[in-house]
Amino acid sequence: MSRKGVNIKIKELNSDIAQLRDISLTIGAINNDTWDEPMGPTPFPSLTTLRNWDLTLLNRYKPFYLPFCDLCCLCTYGKCDLSGTKRGACGISMPAQQSRTVLITACIGASTHCGHARHLLDHLIEKYGGDFLINVGDTGVEVEAPVIRLVCGIKPVTLSDLEPVLDYCENQITQLLAVTHTGQEGYQLDFESKVLHAGMIDQLGMEVADIAQISALGFPKADPESSLADLGLGTVDTGKPVILVIGHNVPPSTEIIDYLQKKSLTSDVEVTGICCTALDITRYSSKAKIIGPISWQLRYIRSGIPDVVVIDEQCVRADTLQESAHIRAPLIATSEKNCLGLPDRTDDPVDEIVHDFITGKQTGALILDPVKVGEVAVRTSIGIAPLRKKHKTLPKDTDAIIALAKKCTQCVLCRRACPNDLPLPAAIKAAAQGNLSGLDEIYDDCLGCGRCEPPCAQKIPIHSLIVAAAGKKTRDETYCIRTGRGAIQDVEIRKVGGPIVLGEIPGIVAFVGCANYPKGSREVAEMCMEFAKRRYIVCTSGCSAMSAGMYRNEDGKTAYEQYSGHFEAGGIVNVGSCVSNAHIAGAAIKIASIFAKRPLRGNYEEIADYVYNRVGAVGVAWGAMSQKAAAIAAGFWRLGIPVVVGPHGTKYRRMLLGRSDKEEDWYVYDARTGKKVYGGPVPEHLFFAAETKEEAMVMIAKLTMRPNDTSKGRANKLANYIDLHKRLVGGIPPDVHLFVRTLSDVPLTMKDEIVTHLHDHSWKENPIPDPTLLKRMIHKEKEG
Amino acid sequence: MFENIPVEVGLVHEGERVRKNDMQVELGGPSESEKFEIVRVLPMDQVTDGKIEIIGPDLSEMEPGAHYPIGILVEVAGTRIETDLEGVVERRVHEYANYIEGFMHLNQRYDIWIRLSKKSFKKGLTSFTLIGRVMHELFRNELPIIERVQITFITDWEKIHPLYAEAMATYEARDARARGLSDDDVDEFYGCALCQSFAPTHVCVITPQRYANCGAISWFDGRAAAGIDPKGPIFAIDKGECLDRENGEYTGINESAKKRSMGEVDRVYLYSAFGYPHTSCGCFEGIAFYIPEVDGFGIVHRGFRQVTVNGLAFSTMADSTAGGRQVEGFHGISIEYMRSSKFMHADGGYNRVVWMPSEIKERLKEYIPAEVYDAIATEKDAESVADLKTFLETHHHPVVKRWIKEEEPAEETTGAPVVFSAGDIPVTMGGFRVILKNAKITAEKVIILPVKPPVQKGR
Ligand code: SF4
Ligand code: SF4
Ligand code: SF4
Ligand code: SF4
Repeated sequence: MSRKGVNIKIKELNSDIAQLRDISLTIGAINNDTWDEPMGPTPFPSLTTLRNWDLTLLNRYKPFYLPFCDLCCLCTYGKCDLSGTKRGACGISMPAQQSRTVLITACIGASTHCGHARHLLDHLIEKYGGDFLINVGDTGVEVEAPVIRLVCGIKPVTLSDLEPVLDYCENQITQLLAVTHTGQEGYQLDFESKVLHAGMIDQLGMEVADIAQISALGFPKADPESSLADLGLGTVDTGKPVILVIGHNVPPSTEIIDYLQKKSLTSDVEVTGICCTALDITRYSSKAKIIGPISWQLRYIRSGIPDVVVIDEQCVRADTLQESAHIRAPLIATSEKNCLGLPDRTDDPVDEIVHDFITGKQTGALILDPVKVGEVAVRTSIGIAPLRKKHKTLPKDTDAIIALAKKCTQCVLCRRACPNDLPLPAAIKAAAQGNLSGLDEIYDDCLGCGRCEPPCAQKIPIHSLIVAAAGKKTRDETYCIRTGRGAIQDVEIRKVGGPIVLGEIPGIVAFVGCANYPKGSREVAEMCMEFAKRRYIVCTSGCSAMSAGMYRNEDGKTAYEQYSGHFEAGGIVNVGSCVSNAHIAGAAIKIASIFAKRPLRGNYEEIADYVYNRVGAVGVAWGAMSQKAAAIAAGFWRLGIPVVVGPHGTKYRRMLLGRSDKEEDWYVYDARTGKKVYGGPVPEHLFFAAETKEEAMVMIAKLTMRPNDTSKGRANKLANYIDLHKRLVGGIPPDVHLFVRTLSDVPLTMKDEIVTHLHDHSWKENPIPDPTLLKRMIHKEKEG
Repeated sequence: MFENIPVEVGLVHEGERVRKNDMQVELGGPSESEKFEIVRVLPMDQVTDGKIEIIGPDLSEMEPGAHYPIGILVEVAGTRIETDLEGVVERRVHEYANYIEGFMHLNQRYDIWIRLSKKSFKKGLTSFTLIGRVMHELFRNELPIIERVQITFITDWEKIHPLYAEAMATYEARDARARGLSDDDVDEFYGCALCQSFAPTHVCVITPQRYANCGAISWFDGRAAAGIDPKGPIFAIDKGECLDRENGEYTGINESAKKRSMGEVDRVYLYSAFGYPHTSCGCFEGIAFYIPEVDGFGIVHRGFRQVTVNGLAFSTMADSTAGGRQVEGFHGISIEYMRSSKFMHADGGYNRVVWMPSEIKERLKEYIPAEVYDAIATEKDAESVADLKTFLETHHHPVVKRWIKEEEPAEETTGAPVVFSAGDIPVTMGGFRVILKNAKITAEKVIILPVKPPVQKGR
């Protein structure tokens, strides 16, 4: 328990040494320690506290720059050309400038999560009180806030205990952002170290947000059997008034649900969502429906189905007001961070606002009181639905599509604008002749970004054409998702310890982040199922959690119906929204406390070293798009968990790649003997962009290896790596010999071919160490 | 290795399911009353290495979609293989069969259930000879102590019957031997250091009467593993001299523990939760926890989600048990160890157990002495230590005799004694200790008086 701003007034105090009268004490913060774990070395680390750890990692995984732009224009000295060995007017080099940009990105991400957490926490404290107890998993979860314990060294008990965590985050983000000013930091690896710091701060922000909402809003509490929720455009009952919520910050949406419940309207109005708000609203009420990830914003609004659009913050398209006005659906903005130029009507009477919406006097309003949003949204949707009659902007039938397609001059500008370079002109040409199959195919790979439309001189609503052509597909989008369960139970972690060392679970793969996919959602679903089938533990969150459910197998089952929601071999575990990512990091951290009893409290470096060397986890952000995704990835890196991204991920400007060919890079201390021994290039990279799904899958399997693997564990990891490589790339991977330490590491069924390969590569045996990168972790013999 | 096998053989096919619609034939399973798989150790001259025999219809001769009885008889020989290891080798059959693409194998012994997929059948997996060849290859490669293997598949209704009866008798005899085997009967125990990859100082000692914490490795498994790869993570421990029969302390174990834990642990009591209890890493199946108020042990298993009688949940206690440390009174155990007659022997065994969840109490019924069974409370009988005391007294639990004159628990301090001293200014009030650091104290008036002798309470 830790409390801010305490005033104590003592009327009279008599003690052995003094008598005091009318004292008033004003104290900055009061720390009441009921936690007997001694404080570790680095509570509330500053910008440089963990710099040594960062540099240890960054020296193995050096930034590999993929400059997106050679220029810097951050100050009025610029633009400065930084190509080659040129330096800017301020003296900065290209690598430092690239890393600086990464830091800015990570700061945006971290501040977004922390800002979100702050807003949510303030709201929840106001509503439920600061003494409301944190509860993320009843008796099943002993370590309620692994990241907070680890980084801050505090053990939060009530909602107010989370406030000092955010104070710290806000302070650090300010410091971090200051680093990017002209004429501050000049060395790339120092920028990178700060990127990692921003990532760690981001994890704190996410953890605060999610444990606060799980506790106060009654979300599933580490429940492996949380209910299934409807997912997909086809699940919406269009006969009812429909509310659409978009964004990440759930209070306005929960108030909508509460209002419906209060008025017994729950089965009369559909509440549908896009992005993380959708995930979180299904954690609140399993009646709510998820339409899909960010890519569904344009197509769903244009379909005319929503009667009211409620937006909060993050990943909301900036043109939502225009789009919703076209379908005559009023828009309610609810976040201070996203006001869209709308009049503030927070203090106006509900009746008036509803009236203005229904009569069309106003197309949108800013309402900063979530309770009011609940009532306005519901009443407006009911009032306006019969008037708008699901007015849509999509072409209404095939003839309309053909008529629009006929206007095309084949200038190819749309294709050039398309981030996925989709063959639009050809498909439109075919459509003009009555063949819609090209457009229909494009639908699967389309990001829904709408970038193809503005360049078109013919003003063809290209994205609408695609969606209309795929009309049947959209109606068939009837999937389901396991609602976000939040944390992983301690007992689940205990249960997988055995199977991991006995080689029955090859690793943990987390599919997280946005939907900027190279080839649509389906690839995420396919990867999830492939790894689950191979008995990996699969975790999902955010848009990726939705994508994982948007596919049915031949039995008509989605990934969530086919695989269990337990944290176990072959489970597909949806932790929840973006902020729930903290639980995935949390599970890795808990492994150290559960199996090795390593103290977590303010002990970041030791735990990161443990996770890095022992926990075979990999993050996959196949469609990473946002700055938040960059910060989330950075948080994983600092803990030593590698991240694989899709091809668009190269636009984050640099990868963190290891060099398996440099033997000297891969030495670790054997904690038993203190000797430096070759631990092998595991994990080989910290941040890797794959071009294709196939390349990604092989890399994921490879990156689950760790120097501590038991032979049985390594054999299982190798078997999967080799098998995937054979299927997806062809042949035995050329680097297999680097991952075989002793002959018992060789998968039994591949013995002959691998032994031959080892011979060809003059392989020699290496011991399996008790690995650490920290000299101080070398085991000291007890006296006597 | 498997060039001549028409389907893939690999780890990735483990866990593959063949659904009814995709199945070519079914062997064993719920529709067949007689099915078995068994491994027998024979003298060298009675085994022809690589011989595969089929008695009854082969896969290609079976009617598609139908079910057949199945017996798989694996006969092995080798100079270092012993009858005691039959069970361990037998479990490999399940694993190996599952490596084969489209060949689903569930369960073991007299319970096996196999399905062959249409797809693999079409690819050419049409004979038991192929299955036999895969198994032969894997046995010889993985288990070098096996020098010869011959495999017989029996699918003939008539011929299977006598073999089935014989197999059942063998399982029975094997189980009896396992149950009867005591720690005194063997010279070697086994250590397992697999979990050191996560808990660097933890080592399990596995004896006939003390199963591994994780519940996954028996003394027989240990014996087989150590025999196959003596340098591997599972190794033999020479028992050495028995120092203490009651607690189960052996010189060999102490030496090994010291070496393997790098000096962290140098004495181990096998059968006690006190003194030098066996360490736990984190994956134990249950915990025996001491309840000082009644001088007895509670037991809780991993799956129990409520709080136990002492007010703590499994996860909370597990947190104080784990990490390769010796924690007195919090003891990580496996379910199988609870079936052992040496279960917490030095502490009184089940006569000292006072509380356990009804679910495992039921599961362990036949291992708990009948005279104490009813006196052990469950969550239905006692939710607090106070309830528990009453329950134990009314049910005449043996621990009640241990209770000497009951001590009054110290009164909770309810008042707010106020201590105030110079220096760091710690103030204790209402049960909290407050340390004032850098606090500015403003007082309207501070009166400092000479120290007076302590005033009596309740002045
Ligand atoms: S910050 Fe440096 S590199 Fe960028 S524009 Fe200014 S002077 Fe040029
Ligand atoms: S909306 Fe689809 S087709 Fe248009 S530019 Fe974006 S991804 Fe390409
Ligand atoms: S931009 Fe417009 S006119 Fe040009 S090819 Fe694309 S659809 Fe046709
Ligand atoms: S718990 Fe099991 S796997 Fe772990 S060290 Fe003990 S016997 Fe080995």
